Amino acid sequence: MASISIRNLTKRYGNFTVIPDLNLEIADHEFVVFVGPSGCGKSTLLRVIAGLEPISSGDLYIGDKRVNGVQAAQRDIAMVFQDYALYPHMRVYDNMSFALELRGTPKAEIDARVKRAAALLHIEPYLDRKPKELSGGQRQRVAMGRAIVRNPKAFLFDEPLSNLDAKLRGQVRAEIKALSQELKTTMVFVTHDQIEAMTMADRIVVLQSGTIQQYDTPETVYERPANQFVAGFIGSPAMNFFPVEWRQERAILSQGGTVVPLDGETAGRLSKAGNAVVGIRPEHFAIATDAADGIAINVKLVEPLGSDTLIHFDVAGGSAIARVDPALRPKVGDRLSLRPQPGKTHLFAASNGQVLR
Amino acid sequence: MNDAANTDRWIRWLNTMQLVLAGVLIMAPTVWMVLSSFKPSFEVTAYPPTLSFSPTLENYVELTRTTPFLSYALNSLIVTVGSTTLGLVFGIPAAFAVSWTRITWPAILTLAARMAPGTLFLLPWYVMFRQIGMIGSYTALILSHAVITLPIVIWVLLPSFDGIPRSVFEAAQVDGCSVTRILWRIALPLVASGVAVSAILAFVFSWNYFLFALVLSNGDTKTLIAAAFNFIGEGSTQWGALMAAATLIALPPLVLAALVQRWLVSGLTLGAVKG
Repeated sequence: MASISIRNLTKRYGNFTVIPDLNLEIADHEFVVFVGPSGCGKSTLLRVIAGLEPISSGDLYIGDKRVNGVQAAQRDIAMVFQDYALYPHMRVYDNMSFALELRGTPKAEIDARVKRAAALLHIEPYLDRKPKELSGGQRQRVAMGRAIVRNPKAFLFDEPLSNLDAKLRGQVRAEIKALSQELKTTMVFVTHDQIEAMTMADRIVVLQSGTIQQYDTPETVYERPANQFVAGFIGSPAMNFFPVEWRQERAILSQGGTVVPLDGETAGRLSKAGNAVVGIRPEHFAIATDAADGIAINVKLVEPLGSDTLIHFDVAGGSAIARVDPALRPKVGDRLSLRPQPGKTHLFAASNGQVLR
Repeated sequence: MNDAANTDRWIRWLNTMQLVLAGVLIMAPTVWMVLSSFKPSFEVTAYPPTLSFSPTLENYVELTRTTPFLSYALNSLIVTVGSTTLGLVFGIPAAFAVSWTRITWPAILTLAARMAPGTLFLLPWYVMFRQIGMIGSYTALILSHAVITLPIVIWVLLPSFDGIPRSVFEAAQVDGCSVTRILWRIALPLVASGVAVSAILAFVFSWNYFLFALVLSNGDTKTLIAAAFNFIGEGSTQWGALMAAATLIALPPLVLAALVQRWLVSGLTLGAVKG
């Protein structure tokens, strides 16, 4: 068990810089999720921590030890790969015991640890099978088993759920979360799925183009996004954005001229900025009782989800989504008046997308 | 509809004809050789050739009586096994290194060496081996035949190693394996069929290679194929014995190929490892 400290780390492939000057502190026992779109550098960063990619410049510490030049084999970390990367020619038992055997662990201890991990992951019946005789979910568990038998300083997960079907993904997600609470080991998990990030992480690192956009708890990242990128990336369906201007003491949509009913505090910030991008999550729209208090919209598409209903509508030259109570039973073509819930609107600078506070 | 059926029939017929033609071209000399080896000596060169004859082993008896056939066979075996082993010992790590580092020029260099005519090496080797007194030694023959076996091993194994998902090697690295141990414990067991195929191909090519043994061997170390060449005398060639010798020489490669033909095809075409 150990903390991970990344200081001024740069990773380049030739002239192409994937990660420019990154700083990150992961505390001991912490479950940190790297999330971001494809090509944001999250997997590269994980591979750098694992020792599978050399560092171009900067420092990497695992615990108190600087590990820049230390081989992956000597870093004492365990990793679960996207394709599981099990050894096809070895039985499940041998897959799990291999790392311990390499370290010269006594046979009795290897046996005990493999069996304990197998029990924890419910894979005891498969110990004598080869990986090709297992389902995707079982292979995924074996890959985790191979990691946990080692009792490493840190676990690294590289999108380990992306090859599972939706139902199994939800189940394994919960299992990994439970496992992290039981093992109390530092865990770094890479995903492009923001639901995985939100549900599992103690803290989320949102990455774009190799730079950290925000590093905070899931609640903070969701409720107080640092910029428009994070606001748009975290949350499903994504946050709606509308360019607004402060005119005649009111917030007016830049396109179309509709008045946006903002709460006093948000309106105050907009009045200072003059113009901005307002962000409203679909779940933060309410139906205005008085049509004059909201933004008048025409329902374009209805998606009933059971627990909620999503309605799609056009506003200010773009499309937007609102999540409403299914009891409302909206229909295509209905005319509604929506207003943002007080205190739930976000303002971002039109110039660089940074949050306006 | 009828036109399509007719075209299909034509294509099938042409395919069959192609196969028959290829089969005749390839098999006719082999059948001729094997049949001739069982003909009485006076019938071997009879014209027109006799198709019905009473089979005899007299050519084989004559071959072993008049030539040290078994010692030539032993020489061939020593040189072939030696050069195949050498090819595997150096070729397996070389192929793995090329696959691991993705630096391909060393593999291309060995391929170029394999494609170059044997005479290119022969003269310098002859001079070198003579200067160090190794002409006629098994070592010289084994070393020279490694030029045949090494590229075969490398190029047969390269796609097999490339076919192993990179993440499997990375998992082994994270588990604590050095590169050597990854080769030994992870990669090699996964390409076992490729190793078998490369060994068989290397064996066959080395067994059949004629030129180096002709020049670099002596009476004690001459391989079968080089010795068989000497059976063709001036005016007094014993064609029957020669056919018997050729049949026996062809036997090991053919038996090996027949035994592992399924592996051969999959080993040469696939090279992939399924998890």
